[in-house]
Amino acid sequence: MTATSADAAALADRAIYEVFIDAPIRIVWDTLVKTDEALPFFFGAVCDTADGLKPGKPMRMITPDRKFASVVGEVLEFSPPHRYAHTMKFTQFEDAPCTVIYELSETEGGTRFRLITENVPAGTKTEKSMVPGGKFITENLKALVETGKPKFSGRMVMMLGPVMALFTPAQCRLEHWPLVPPTLEMPTPEEETPHG
Amino acid sequence: MITDYDMSAVFHALAHESRRQILDILKATPGIPVGELARHFDVSRIAVMNHLAVLEKAGLVVSEKDGRSRRLYLNAAPIQMIQDRWMSAYSSQFASRVTGLKYAAEAAARQKEDPK
Repeated sequence: MTATSADAAALADRAIYEVFIDAPIRIVWDTLVKTDEALPFFFGAVCDTADGLKPGKPMRMITPDRKFASVVGEVLEFSPPHRYAHTMKFTQFEDAPCTVIYELSETEGGTRFRLITENVPAGTKTEKSMVPGGKFITENLKALVETGKPKFSGRMVMMLGPVMALFTPAQCRLEHWPLVPPTLEMPTPEEETPHG
Repeated sequence: MITDYDMSAVFHALAHESRRQILDILKATPGIPVGELARHFDVSRIAVMNHLAVLEKAGLVVSEKDGRSRRLYLNAAPIQMIQDRWMSAYSSQFASRVTGLKYAAEAAARQKEDPK
């Protein structure tokens, strides 16, 4: 089976982070998809939606004080408790969105958790953030589910949250990243004035 | 939690030059099919498959099925767990400054020895 060059390019920026988590798949899933609560494995951000995580609907990761959005995206797939995928764009960078896929499968005595990133624009700031980000999320989610406590790095971002806000660029302010994009005012078709 | 048994598997897997080379190749070309990886080595395909089995058992390599072939990826999470065990968020900052200086100075020294 030969891959086309487009496939090869897509594969070249595909990365997989995998851990085995000593917890039932349901608990891992519920921990992963919690909304409206600060997530230590996601840098202390809250997953915010208009109406839950649903395919085709927007989601965003925001600070608990609801002042800033760090990541915005669209839910691509939501299949509890096995697969969740969304696009993601860092609000502070100009880069195109990439795709993040979470895959969970039951194994003997626990759960295999995979975080897959796709189409991370090469050589960009997004790429620089995604590599440590993938490891951070995988490791902190594992620690949180297994021990009820995030790792030190996760606890630190929770603590530093308010401090980091001071350094957050204004373009990340929540009002710039609405869940429902403002619809363009469509001029109501006016009755054509008859010629004559 | 990573058990000592798991960690032994990681160190065992890393303790062989060919297996470290496999990880280098996977890092440079994520998603490489098994057959293509084997072509990088002079040894038999069986020998490469054995090395892969050791790496997969340690969790350093993960694979995905693609038709009849298997695509291979480096999984950095076990290496992260080694780092987590002995380094704190602070010490990794300073350690990477030390290694960064080492690489830069050594590159500069090489350039001086061999000016091109």
